[in-house]
Amino acid sequence: MAAVFFSKKALTAPPTVRTLASGVPSAPLVNFAVRSPAGHGHHEHGAVGPRSDAPARWAGGVSSSPVSGLSSKTFVSAPTTGVYQQRLLSTSAVCKDAPQVPDFSDYQAKSPSTNRGLAYFMIGSLGVLTASAAKSTVTEFLATMSASADVLALAKVEVELASIPEGKNVIIKWRGKPVFIRHRTQEEINEAKSTDWKTLRDPESDESRTKKPEWLVMLGVCTHLGCVPIGEAGDYGGWFCPCHGSHYDISGRIRKGPAPLNLEVPAYDFTEGDAKLIVG
Amino acid sequence: MGVFNTFYNTIAKRNSIFVPTIFATAFAFSISFDVGVTSFWDRWNQGKQWKDIRHKYVQDSE
Repeated sequence: MAAVFFSKKALTAPPTVRTLASGVPSAPLVNFAVRSPAGHGHHEHGAVGPRSDAPARWAGGVSSSPVSGLSSKTFVSAPTTGVYQQRLLSTSAVCKDAPQVPDFSDYQAKSPSTNRGLAYFMIGSLGVLTASAAKSTVTEFLATMSASADVLALAKVEVELASIPEGKNVIIKWRGKPVFIRHRTQEEINEAKSTDWKTLRDPESDESRTKKPEWLVMLGVCTHLGCVPIGEAGDYGGWFCPCHGSHYDISGRIRKGPAPLNLEVPAYDFTEGDAKLIVG
Repeated sequence: MGVFNTFYNTIAKRNSIFVPTIFATAFAFSISFDVGVTSFWDRWNQGKQWKDIRHKYVQDSE
């Protein structure tokens, strides 16, 4: 009941004390913002303050003034608020289709076809750069998988040719495989060249198998099943594989037996005025 | 009829010409870029690389 004591005393006054000359009742001390006392009415949730179901001020309401007394007003149409529309259309203003849109004509392309050509040129240029970058990315990545220069240098073998007398075989190890080097005599060269190589199983001329006719360099691995052939043996004066009986001639070509191909020739080169042979 | 208009009419009008042109130009560009950068590098580092000073240390026995 404390709320009652803080509210104005006129709460308890009768709503009308007298009537104005116009017939409107005068109630000068009525407090319209008063709360209903706690515990009264149907609102038991303890709401305080003005009644929540009262209409908003702009919609009208009850007011009292000393002149007109107690009056109640209801506004049928809400008062105008906000921005008033500007009236741009007049006899002196330029009439445009969309008056709020700025004039972009200074920024528009002078020639649409040139503009289109430029656009395609820029697209194409970007495509060129992208394709180039993609290509070099791929090639650089693949280059990381290849052997580096120090590994390649270790994978070569040097042979001093002066230490090999004519008519002798030398077997060296290259990348874990034997390599035959034969210093051929003139008769052997003649024999290798005079062979009718076109009728052989793997036709190769002696010239295509040697860089210098006196030096024959071959991988010493039988092309049949990978045994190491024996030198200066076999029916053709060349190499003979003891595993399954393949006969190679003095140029390393297969002549008889199960092997399908000639002995393989590795990449090699002569350096320092033919004094050294580098295999690899 | 400017340069770009000619470019559009000759190259960009058909995609079958446009895309191969891009790839061919990319090929030429990557080679020329490589050559250009290498020559610039050699000019910038002239006299410092092994190929420039090799003749001072190694005598070829030819």
